[in-house]
Amino acid sequence: MLITDKESFKRLQKLNQLALTEKEETDVLAFFTARNEDITALGAVDTENVERMVHVMPMETVVREDKEIKLFTRDELQKSAPESYEGYWQVPRLVE
Amino acid sequence: MRYETVIGLEVHVELATESKIFCSCSAKFGGEQNDHVCPACCGMPGMLPVVNKHVVDLGMTAGMMLNCDINRTTTFDKKSYYYPDLPCSYQTTQWFAPVAVNGLVDIETSKGKKSIRIKQIHMEEDAGKLVHDDWTDTSLVDFNRTSVPLIEIVSQPDLSSAEEVIAYLERLRSLLRFAKVSDCRMEQGSMRCDVNLSVRPEGSDKLGVRTEMKNMNSLTAITRAIEYEVARHIDAIENGTEELVQETRRWDDVKGKSYAMRNKETAGDYRYFPDPNIMPVVIDDAWYNGIKASLPEFPEIKRARYIDELGLTEYDADLLTASRAFCDCFEAAYEVCGSAKEVANWLISDCMNILNRKQMTVDELKLDGKTLGELIKLCMDGKVNRGNAKKILMEMFDSETPIDPAAYAEANGFIVSNDTGKMDEVIKAAVAADPKAVADFKGGKEKALLAIFGKCMKELKGNCDPQKLREALLKHIDSL
Ligand SMILES: [Zn+2]
Repeated sequence: MLITDKESFKRLQKLNQLALTEKEETDVLAFFTARNEDITALGAVDTENVERMVHVMPMETVVREDKEIKLFTRDELQKSAPESYEGYWQVPRLVE
Repeated sequence: MRYETVIGLEVHVELATESKIFCSCSAKFGGEQNDHVCPACCGMPGMLPVVNKHVVDLGMTAGMMLNCDINRTTTFDKKSYYYPDLPCSYQTTQWFAPVAVNGLVDIETSKGKKSIRIKQIHMEEDAGKLVHDDWTDTSLVDFNRTSVPLIEIVSQPDLSSAEEVIAYLERLRSLLRFAKVSDCRMEQGSMRCDVNLSVRPEGSDKLGVRTEMKNMNSLTAITRAIEYEVARHIDAIENGTEELVQETRRWDDVKGKSYAMRNKETAGDYRYFPDPNIMPVVIDDAWYNGIKASLPEFPEIKRARYIDELGLTEYDADLLTASRAFCDCFEAAYEVCGSAKEVANWLISDCMNILNRKQMTVDELKLDGKTLGELIKLCMDGKVNRGNAKKILMEMFDSETPIDPAAYAEANGFIVSNDTGKMDEVIKAAVAADPKAVADFKGGKEKALLAIFGKCMKELKGNCDPQKLREALLKHIDSL
């Protein structure tokens, strides 16, 4: 998605659940608009018959064997939770 | 005007792994809330994903079963959306280089055979579960399902009726179960699908407005939902009852209606980008060939072989090839005892009965085929009679530890003695001496047999297995 104006930027903020001040909004929008020019410029490069670069590092992943290991208890993990209830993480109610 | 329906499916299948896709937590269904979690799958900062090799194995297997090309370098991407059941605020999935592409699945309906093209199969993680709690007026989050491995099978819009959709789903289920990719249990949510549907005038090459129904998990609901949507679309086109818009809808099976859902995200909103934390998965020749070699024979090829080469009836072959567990057991047992017909009988009547009684499905058959073959051989060789063999079979189902049929028969006095001459002699004499008791027994008085039984026992001085004596006695009376 290209951020071109206030409206598309608002949409992006909503998707990310971000609240910005008016000053921040202006600054970030200016940054995005400048990046759009960069992206458009890149479009001019001829990529015909160029293999896709799958990753910036010339490395491949390591994989792990399919073994179940239990390392943490629920209580340990929920120590840092702002709210929990009967073993659940508790969040403000979501309307379906 | 006549209309045609254009349907594409996105089918989610939970993979049969022990652990999750990017961490070592249990991937088992159920469990206490948040019992299968760790810092990685509940999205604690700084945790890094490590790919579970078996997930890639099963992704490739599914791809090969559905005639796809395998991407030998396959990568993971982040799909961003904000919802509390997704602790990282992004789902790790595959967008740019999915594990398998360009497949083909053959289906058969009342209208004949048809091939459905598969666009791609990608690997991804499941989301958690939300419970809305009225008492506390909050939402409660359970991360047990978070990061449980899934594949999503995306078809081309080649389906044109509910009947074809059902045939396609059943075909997928059969192939994936056979290859042990997933148990595909719709009622547990391990197979669910999104239905993309549009309607257009017959012969038109322009697609109509497309709607999507998400998370359908029963074949009857899918059929009902498709029929409802088709009628709704045609009504809108013909009578202008409403303006059709591209949207996601929720199917309410109780009310028999679909409803528009509020959030309308497009692919762009998900801001897919390559996951910088996971390097590409490179599938070398050894890995690729190993998976290729492990693929099972397709069920219909097995079925034909069972009929043509092993002489089974179509009925028996159908029943056996409905389940991979039955096929495996059948083939191993046949190798040991050499009689396909006998093994088929044991599996289809005796084993099926026991499963029914235990309220288990055919896929839950855990019987070791080689052991079953040994048991059938004992029976075929006349070393154990059928009644006792059934008892051993029961024990094989019940026992926690493996049973050796020959040793078990020996230990329980089930081996038919070679010296049955004496017993037969005694029985014949006792029966001949008491025709009234025999007649009473045949007339339904079970107790009448006791007198003859006691007489035999006395005559044999108790040196026999009472069970065997009883059976021999009954057999003799039956033969009269
Ligand atoms: Zn975990």
